[in-house]
Amino acid sequence: MSEQALAHQDVALVDLIDRLLGSGVVIAGDITLSVADVDLVYVGLRALVSSVATAVGEEPLLPR
Amino acid sequence: MIELIAITDDPAAPAPPLRAVRSGGLAVLCAPAEDAVVTPAALWRREALLESLMEDRDLLPVRYGTRVADERAAAAAVAGRGGELRARLERVRGAVELAVRARPRETEAAPPAARSGREYLAARLGRSRAAVALHEPLAALARASAIQPGDELLRAAYLVDRTAVAAFADRVGELQRAHPQLALVCTGPWPPYSFAEGAGA
Amino acid sequence: MNDKVLAAPLGDLDPFAHDERSLADALTRRIEADPESVERGLAQLVLTIVELLRQLMERQALRRVDGGGLSDDQVERLGRTFMELDRRMAELRDEFGLTEEDLNLDLGPLGRLL
Repeated sequence: MSEQALAHQDVALVDLIDRLLGSGVVIAGDITLSVADVDLVYVGLRALVSSVATAVGEEPLLPR
Repeated sequence: MIELIAITDDPAAPAPPLRAVRSGGLAVLCAPAEDAVVTPAALWRREALLESLMEDRDLLPVRYGTRVADERAAAAAVAGRGGELRARLERVRGAVELAVRARPRETEAAPPAARSGREYLAARLGRSRAAVALHEPLAALARASAIQPGDELLRAAYLVDRTAVAAFADRVGELQRAHPQLALVCTGPWPPYSFAEGAGA
Repeated sequence: MNDKVLAAPLGDLDPFAHDERSLADALTRRIEADPESVERGLAQLVLTIVELLRQLMERQALRRVDGGGLSDDQVERLGRTFMELDRRMAELRDEFGLTEEDLNLDLGPLGRLL
Protein backbone atom coordinates (compact mmCIF):
# COMPACT_ATOMS: atom_id res chain seq x y z
CA MET A 1 0.00 0.00 0.00
CA SER A 2 1.34 3.45 -0.82
CA GLU A 3 2.30 5.81 1.96
CA GLN A 4 -0.68 8.00 1.26
CA ALA A 5 -3.02 5.01 1.29
CA LEU A 6 -1.59 3.98 4.67
CA ALA A 7 -2.05 7.49 6.04
CA HIS A 8 -5.63 7.51 4.77
CA GLN A 9 -6.32 4.17 6.40
CA ASP A 10 -4.94 5.39 9.74
CA VAL A 11 -7.18 8.45 9.69
CA ALA A 12 -10.18 6.37 8.66
CA LEU A 13 -9.42 3.86 11.44
CA VAL A 14 -9.92 6.60 14.03
CA ASP A 15 -13.41 7.22 12.65
CA LEU A 16 -14.09 3.47 12.35
CA ILE A 17 -13.14 2.70 15.95
CA ASP A 18 -15.24 5.56 17.19
CA ARG A 19 -18.21 4.18 15.32
CA LEU A 20 -17.98 0.41 15.70
CA LEU A 21 -17.00 0.53 19.36
CA GLY A 22 -18.80 3.70 20.36
CA SER A 23 -21.98 3.86 18.28
CA GLY A 24 -24.55 1.60 16.72
CA VAL A 25 -27.62 -0.02 18.20
CA VAL A 26 -27.12 -1.05 21.80
CA ILE A 27 -28.77 -4.33 22.65
CA ALA A 28 -29.33 -5.60 26.16
CA GLY A 29 -26.98 -8.50 26.72
CA ASP A 30 -24.04 -6.85 25.03
CA ILE A 31 -20.60 -6.79 26.54
CA THR A 32 -20.70 -3.54 28.40
CA LEU A 33 -17.80 -1.82 30.02
CA SER A 34 -19.67 -0.38 32.91
CA VAL A 35 -20.86 -1.86 36.14
CA ALA A 36 -24.56 -2.64 36.34
CA ASP A 37 -25.42 -0.23 39.09
CA VAL A 38 -23.62 2.59 37.34
CA ASP A 39 -25.85 1.95 34.33
CA LEU A 40 -28.89 2.54 36.47
CA VAL A 41 -27.52 5.87 37.54
CA TYR A 42 -27.01 6.76 33.89
CA VAL A 43 -30.71 6.27 33.19
CA GLY A 44 -31.79 8.78 35.79
CA LEU A 45 -29.08 11.18 34.75
CA ARG A 46 -30.13 11.20 31.13
CA ALA A 47 -33.64 12.33 32.03
CA LEU A 48 -32.26 15.11 34.22
CA VAL A 49 -29.77 16.26 31.65
CA SER A 50 -32.32 16.24 28.83
CA SER A 51 -34.57 18.57 30.74
CA VAL A 52 -31.72 20.91 31.59
CA ALA A 53 -30.44 20.93 28.02
CA THR A 54 -33.92 21.66 26.69
CA ALA A 55 -34.40 24.50 29.14
CA VAL A 56 -31.30 26.36 28.00
CA GLY A 57 -31.52 25.57 24.29
CA GLU A 58 -29.91 22.60 22.62
CA GLU A 59 -27.73 23.97 19.85
CA PRO A 60 -24.29 22.49 20.37
CA LEU A 61 -22.72 25.52 18.70
CA LEU A 62 -23.48 29.19 18.75
CA PRO A 63 -25.91 30.46 16.18
CA ARG A 64 -24.49 33.14 13.94
CA MET B 1 -23.01 -17.59 21.44
CA ILE B 2 -24.01 -15.57 18.44
CA GLU B 3 -22.96 -12.10 17.53
CA LEU B 4 -25.51 -9.49 16.43
CA ILE B 5 -24.38 -7.64 13.34
CA ALA B 6 -27.20 -5.40 12.15
CA ILE B 7 -30.92 -4.76 12.18
CA THR B 8 -32.91 -4.42 8.98
CA ASP B 9 -36.48 -4.46 7.74
CA ASP B 10 -35.55 -6.01 4.43
CA PRO B 11 -36.99 -9.50 4.03
CA ALA B 12 -34.19 -10.85 1.83
CA ALA B 13 -32.08 -13.51 3.52
CA PRO B 14 -28.40 -12.65 4.00
CA ALA B 15 -25.61 -14.81 2.64
CA PRO B 16 -24.29 -17.53 4.97
CA PRO B 17 -22.79 -17.67 7.54
CA LEU B 18 -25.16 -14.85 8.48
CA ARG B 19 -28.67 -15.74 9.56
CA ALA B 20 -31.73 -13.53 9.89
CA VAL B 21 -33.72 -13.78 13.11
CA ARG B 22 -37.20 -12.41 12.48
CA SER B 23 -39.04 -10.36 15.07
CA GLY B 24 -42.08 -8.34 14.10
CA GLY B 25 -41.29 -6.73 10.77
CA LEU B 26 -37.61 -6.69 11.56
CA ALA B 27 -34.69 -9.03 10.99
CA VAL B 28 -31.70 -9.23 13.30
CA LEU B 29 -28.71 -10.36 11.25
CA CYS B 30 -26.53 -12.70 13.28
CA ALA B 31 -23.28 -14.57 12.88
CA PRO B 32 -21.54 -17.22 14.95
CA ALA B 33 -19.48 -15.49 17.62
CA GLU B 34 -15.77 -15.70 17.04
CA ASP B 35 -13.33 -15.54 19.88
CA ALA B 36 -11.32 -12.99 17.97
CA VAL B 37 -9.33 -10.33 19.77
CA VAL B 38 -10.38 -6.82 18.87
CA THR B 39 -7.87 -5.59 16.33
CA PRO B 40 -8.05 -3.01 13.56
CA ALA B 41 -8.15 -5.92 11.07
CA ALA B 42 -11.20 -7.39 12.84
CA LEU B 43 -12.93 -4.01 12.79
CA TRP B 44 -12.20 -3.55 9.09
CA ARG B 45 -13.61 -7.04 8.43
CA ARG B 46 -16.82 -6.08 10.21
CA GLU B 47 -16.98 -2.83 8.30
CA ALA B 48 -16.56 -4.71 4.99
CA LEU B 49 -19.34 -7.10 5.98
CA LEU B 50 -21.70 -4.24 6.86
CA GLU B 51 -20.91 -2.46 3.61
CA SER B 52 -21.62 -5.55 1.53
CA LEU B 53 -24.94 -5.97 3.38
CA MET B 54 -25.74 -2.33 2.71
CA GLU B 55 -25.40 -2.87 -1.02
CA ASP B 56 -28.73 -4.66 -0.88
CA ARG B 57 -30.58 -3.22 2.10
CA ASP B 58 -30.88 -0.42 4.62
CA LEU B 59 -29.68 -1.37 8.07
CA LEU B 60 -28.78 -0.19 11.55
CA PRO B 61 -25.37 -1.52 12.61
CA VAL B 62 -25.24 -3.08 16.07
CA ARG B 63 -22.47 -2.18 18.53
CA TYR B 64 -19.41 -4.33 17.91
CA GLY B 65 -19.07 -7.18 20.37
CA THR B 66 -22.77 -7.55 21.07
CA ARG B 67 -23.44 -11.19 21.83
CA VAL B 68 -26.41 -13.18 23.00
CA ALA B 69 -26.86 -16.84 23.85
CA ASP B 70 -28.90 -17.91 20.84
CA GLU B 71 -31.43 -16.86 18.22
CA ARG B 72 -34.27 -16.82 20.72
CA ALA B 73 -32.32 -14.33 22.81
CA ALA B 74 -31.67 -12.27 19.67
CA ALA B 75 -35.39 -12.03 18.95
CA ALA B 76 -36.12 -11.20 22.58
CA ALA B 77 -33.51 -8.45 22.57
CA VAL B 78 -35.39 -6.41 19.96
CA ALA B 79 -38.89 -7.31 21.09
CA GLY B 80 -40.53 -4.20 22.49
CA ARG B 81 -38.25 -1.90 20.50
CA GLY B 82 -39.81 -2.62 17.13
CA GLY B 83 -41.47 0.76 16.75
CA GLU B 84 -38.33 2.69 17.63
CA LEU B 85 -36.08 0.58 15.40
CA ARG B 86 -38.45 0.75 12.44
CA ALA B 87 -38.58 4.54 12.81
CA ARG B 88 -34.78 4.71 12.83
CA LEU B 89 -34.56 2.52 9.76
CA GLU B 90 -36.98 4.82 8.01
CA ARG B 91 -34.81 7.77 8.95
CA VAL B 92 -31.68 6.22 7.44
CA ARG B 93 -33.44 4.86 4.34
CA GLY B 94 -31.20 5.39 1.32
CA ALA B 95 -28.60 7.28 3.34
CA VAL B 96 -25.06 6.78 4.61
CA GLU B 97 -22.97 8.39 7.30
CA LEU B 98 -20.10 10.73 6.56
CA ALA B 99 -17.60 11.79 9.23
CA VAL B 100 -15.98 15.22 9.27
CA ARG B 101 -13.16 16.44 11.51
CA ALA B 102 -11.43 19.78 11.44
CA ARG B 103 -8.32 21.03 13.21
CA PRO B 104 -6.18 24.14 12.88
CA ARG B 105 -3.16 23.45 10.69
CA GLU B 106 -0.07 22.80 12.77
CA THR B 107 1.92 25.19 10.62
CA GLU B 108 -0.13 27.93 12.23
CA ALA B 109 1.52 29.01 15.46
CA ALA B 110 -0.65 27.72 18.28
CA PRO B 111 -2.50 30.70 19.76
CA PRO B 112 -0.90 31.79 23.03
CA ALA B 113 -2.84 30.85 26.12
CA ALA B 114 -5.38 33.53 26.95
CA ARG B 115 -4.05 36.00 29.47
CA SER B 116 -7.36 37.57 30.35
CA GLY B 117 -10.93 36.51 30.73
CA ARG B 118 -11.89 38.62 27.74
CA GLU B 119 -9.25 36.94 25.57
CA TYR B 120 -10.46 33.52 26.67
CA LEU B 121 -14.07 34.27 25.73
CA ALA B 122 -12.98 35.86 22.47
CA ALA B 123 -11.02 32.74 21.58
CA ARG B 124 -14.01 30.53 22.46
CA LEU B 125 -16.30 32.66 20.37
CA GLY B 126 -13.82 32.49 17.51
CA ARG B 127 -13.61 28.71 17.65
CA SER B 128 -17.35 28.39 17.95
CA ARG B 129 -17.92 30.64 14.93
CA ALA B 130 -15.29 28.77 12.91
CA ALA B 131 -16.97 25.48 13.74
CA VAL B 132 -20.40 26.86 12.80
CA ALA B 133 -19.00 28.19 9.51
CA LEU B 134 -17.96 24.64 8.65
CA HIS B 135 -20.92 22.78 10.11
CA GLU B 136 -23.82 24.80 8.69
CA PRO B 137 -23.06 24.42 4.98
CA LEU B 138 -22.51 20.69 5.51
CA ALA B 139 -25.63 20.21 7.59
CA ALA B 140 -27.53 21.89 4.76
CA LEU B 141 -26.59 18.94 2.54
CA ALA B 142 -27.49 16.32 5.13
CA ARG B 143 -30.67 14.74 6.34
CA ALA B 144 -29.44 14.88 9.92
CA SER B 145 -26.25 15.63 11.80
CA ALA B 146 -24.66 14.83 15.14
CA ILE B 147 -21.91 16.98 16.59
CA GLN B 148 -19.62 14.88 18.75
CA PRO B 149 -17.26 15.91 21.54
CA GLY B 150 -13.55 15.77 21.02
CA ASP B 151 -10.63 18.11 21.00
CA GLU B 152 -11.05 18.92 17.31
CA LEU B 153 -12.43 22.26 16.19
CA LEU B 154 -15.30 20.31 14.65
CA ARG B 155 -16.10 16.62 14.94
CA ALA B 156 -19.41 15.59 13.44
CA ALA B 157 -21.37 12.87 11.70
CA TYR B 158 -23.73 13.63 8.83
CA LEU B 159 -26.55 11.44 7.52
CA VAL B 160 -26.42 12.00 3.77
CA ASP B 161 -28.51 10.61 0.90
CA ARG B 162 -26.42 8.10 -1.03
CA THR B 163 -26.93 10.23 -4.13
CA ALA B 164 -25.59 13.32 -2.35
CA VAL B 165 -22.28 11.87 -1.14
CA ALA B 166 -20.20 13.28 -4.00
CA ALA B 167 -21.73 16.74 -3.59
CA PHE B 168 -21.02 16.58 0.15
CA ALA B 169 -17.39 15.61 -0.42
CA ASP B 170 -17.10 18.45 -2.95
CA ARG B 171 -18.50 20.88 -0.38
CA VAL B 172 -15.88 19.73 2.16
CA GLY B 173 -13.23 20.38 -0.50
CA GLU B 174 -14.64 23.88 -1.10
CA LEU B 175 -14.64 24.64 2.62
CA GLN B 176 -11.06 23.40 2.85
CA ARG B 177 -9.98 25.74 0.07
CA ALA B 178 -11.88 28.59 1.71
CA HIS B 179 -10.13 27.96 5.04
CA PRO B 180 -6.49 27.10 4.26
CA GLN B 181 -5.54 27.72 7.89
CA LEU B 182 -7.61 24.66 8.87
CA ALA B 183 -7.23 20.98 8.02
CA LEU B 184 -10.50 19.24 7.18
CA VAL B 185 -10.91 15.53 6.65
CA CYS B 186 -14.03 13.70 5.56
CA THR B 187 -14.31 9.91 5.71
CA GLY B 188 -17.03 7.53 4.60
CA PRO B 189 -19.40 6.37 3.45
CA TRP B 190 -20.09 4.51 6.68
CA PRO B 191 -23.15 2.59 7.80
CA PRO B 192 -25.33 4.94 9.90
CA TYR B 193 -23.67 4.15 13.26
CA SER B 194 -24.25 7.57 14.80
CA PHE B 195 -27.92 7.62 13.86
CA ALA B 196 -28.80 4.11 14.99
CA GLU B 197 -29.45 4.87 18.62
CA GLY B 198 -30.59 7.54 21.02
CA ALA B 199 -31.60 11.10 20.33
CA GLY B 200 -29.44 12.21 17.40
CA ALA B 201 -30.73 15.37 15.74
CA MET C 1 -10.83 -2.13 2.24
CA ASN C 2 -11.21 0.73 -0.18
CA ASP C 3 -10.03 4.21 0.70
CA LYS C 4 -12.52 5.74 3.14
CA VAL C 5 -11.09 9.23 2.91
CA LEU C 6 -13.43 11.30 0.73
CA ALA C 7 -11.81 14.67 1.26
CA ALA C 8 -8.37 15.26 2.66
CA PRO C 9 -6.56 18.40 3.85
CA LEU C 10 -4.39 20.41 1.49
CA GLY C 11 -0.86 19.08 1.80
CA ASP C 12 -0.89 16.31 4.33
CA LEU C 13 -2.77 14.64 7.14
CA ASP C 14 -0.28 15.72 9.81
CA PRO C 15 -2.83 17.64 11.89
CA PHE C 16 -4.62 14.34 12.43
CA ALA C 17 -1.54 12.18 12.85
CA HIS C 18 -1.49 12.51 16.63
CA ASP C 19 -4.93 10.92 16.86
CA GLU C 20 -3.25 7.59 16.19
CA ARG C 21 -1.67 7.49 19.63
CA SER C 22 -5.05 7.22 21.23
CA LEU C 23 -6.11 4.18 19.19
CA ALA C 24 -4.41 1.62 21.41
CA ASP C 25 -6.00 3.40 24.35
CA ALA C 26 -9.40 3.38 22.73
CA LEU C 27 -9.28 -0.34 22.10
CA THR C 28 -7.98 -1.35 25.50
CA ARG C 29 -10.21 1.09 27.35
CA ARG C 30 -13.29 -0.23 25.69
CA ILE C 31 -12.71 -3.90 26.18
CA GLU C 32 -11.30 -4.06 29.68
CA ALA C 33 -13.55 -4.57 32.66
CA ASP C 34 -11.36 -4.55 35.73
CA PRO C 35 -11.73 -2.92 39.16
CA GLU C 36 -9.63 0.08 38.19
CA SER C 37 -11.84 0.79 35.25
CA VAL C 38 -14.89 0.70 37.51
CA GLU C 39 -13.43 3.59 39.44
CA ARG C 40 -12.63 5.32 36.21
CA GLY C 41 -16.18 4.63 35.06
CA LEU C 42 -17.53 6.50 38.05
CA ALA C 43 -15.09 9.35 37.52
CA GLN C 44 -16.20 9.41 33.90
CA LEU C 45 -19.81 9.71 34.99
CA VAL C 46 -19.14 12.55 37.39
CA LEU C 47 -16.88 14.45 35.05
CA THR C 48 -19.41 14.14 32.25
CA ILE C 49 -22.07 15.81 34.38
CA VAL C 50 -19.64 18.56 35.30
CA GLU C 51 -18.57 18.97 31.69
CA LEU C 52 -22.16 19.12 30.51
CA LEU C 53 -23.02 21.84 33.00
CA ARG C 54 -19.84 23.70 32.18
CA GLN C 55 -20.70 23.65 28.47
CA LEU C 56 -24.26 24.78 29.06
CA MET C 57 -23.15 27.64 31.26
CA GLU C 58 -20.35 28.68 28.97
CA ARG C 59 -22.70 28.65 26.00
CA GLN C 60 -25.11 30.88 27.90
CA ALA C 61 -22.28 33.23 28.80
CA LEU C 62 -21.04 33.39 25.21
CA ARG C 63 -24.55 34.26 24.01
CA ARG C 64 -24.74 37.08 26.54
CA VAL C 65 -21.32 38.39 25.59
CA ASP C 66 -22.11 38.13 21.89
CA GLY C 67 -25.41 39.88 22.39
CA GLY C 68 -23.78 42.84 24.10
CA GLY C 69 -25.06 44.55 27.22
CA LEU C 70 -22.34 43.38 29.57
CA SER C 71 -19.76 45.72 31.02
CA ASP C 72 -16.10 45.15 30.28
CA ASP C 73 -15.63 44.15 33.86
CA GLN C 74 -18.42 41.58 33.69
CA VAL C 75 -17.01 40.11 30.49
CA GLU C 76 -13.58 39.87 32.05
CA ARG C 77 -14.87 38.18 35.19
CA LEU C 78 -17.02 35.73 33.23
CA GLY C 79 -14.06 34.90 31.02
CA ARG C 80 -11.74 34.30 33.93
CA THR C 81 -14.26 32.03 35.60
CA PHE C 82 -14.66 29.85 32.53
CA MET C 83 -10.96 29.87 31.83
CA GLU C 84 -10.37 28.51 35.31
CA LEU C 85 -13.17 25.94 34.97
CA ASP C 86 -11.75 24.77 31.66
CA ARG C 87 -8.26 24.41 33.13
CA ARG C 88 -9.59 22.53 36.12
CA MET C 89 -11.61 20.15 33.91
CA ALA C 90 -8.51 19.39 31.84
CA GLU C 91 -6.60 18.61 35.03
CA LEU C 92 -9.35 16.32 36.28
CA ARG C 93 -9.51 14.51 32.95
CA ASP C 94 -5.76 14.02 33.05
CA GLU C 95 -5.88 12.66 36.58
CA PHE C 96 -8.26 9.93 35.45
CA GLY C 97 -6.71 9.32 32.07
CA LEU C 98 -9.86 10.47 30.26
CA THR C 99 -10.09 12.29 26.94
CA GLU C 100 -12.77 14.71 25.83
CA GLU C 101 -14.30 11.91 23.75
CA ASP C 102 -14.61 9.77 26.88
CA LEU C 103 -16.98 12.31 28.35
CA ASN C 104 -19.58 11.61 25.71
CA LEU C 105 -21.25 9.20 28.00
CA ASP C 106 -23.02 6.31 26.40
CA LEU C 107 -26.36 5.57 27.99
CA GLY C 108 -27.17 2.55 25.86
CA PRO C 109 -30.61 2.73 24.29
CA LEU C 110 -30.98 6.27 25.61
CA GLY C 111 -28.20 7.44 23.39
CA ARG C 112 -25.28 9.69 24.06
CA LEU C 113 -25.20 12.48 26.53
CA LEU C 114 -23.43 15.32 24.78
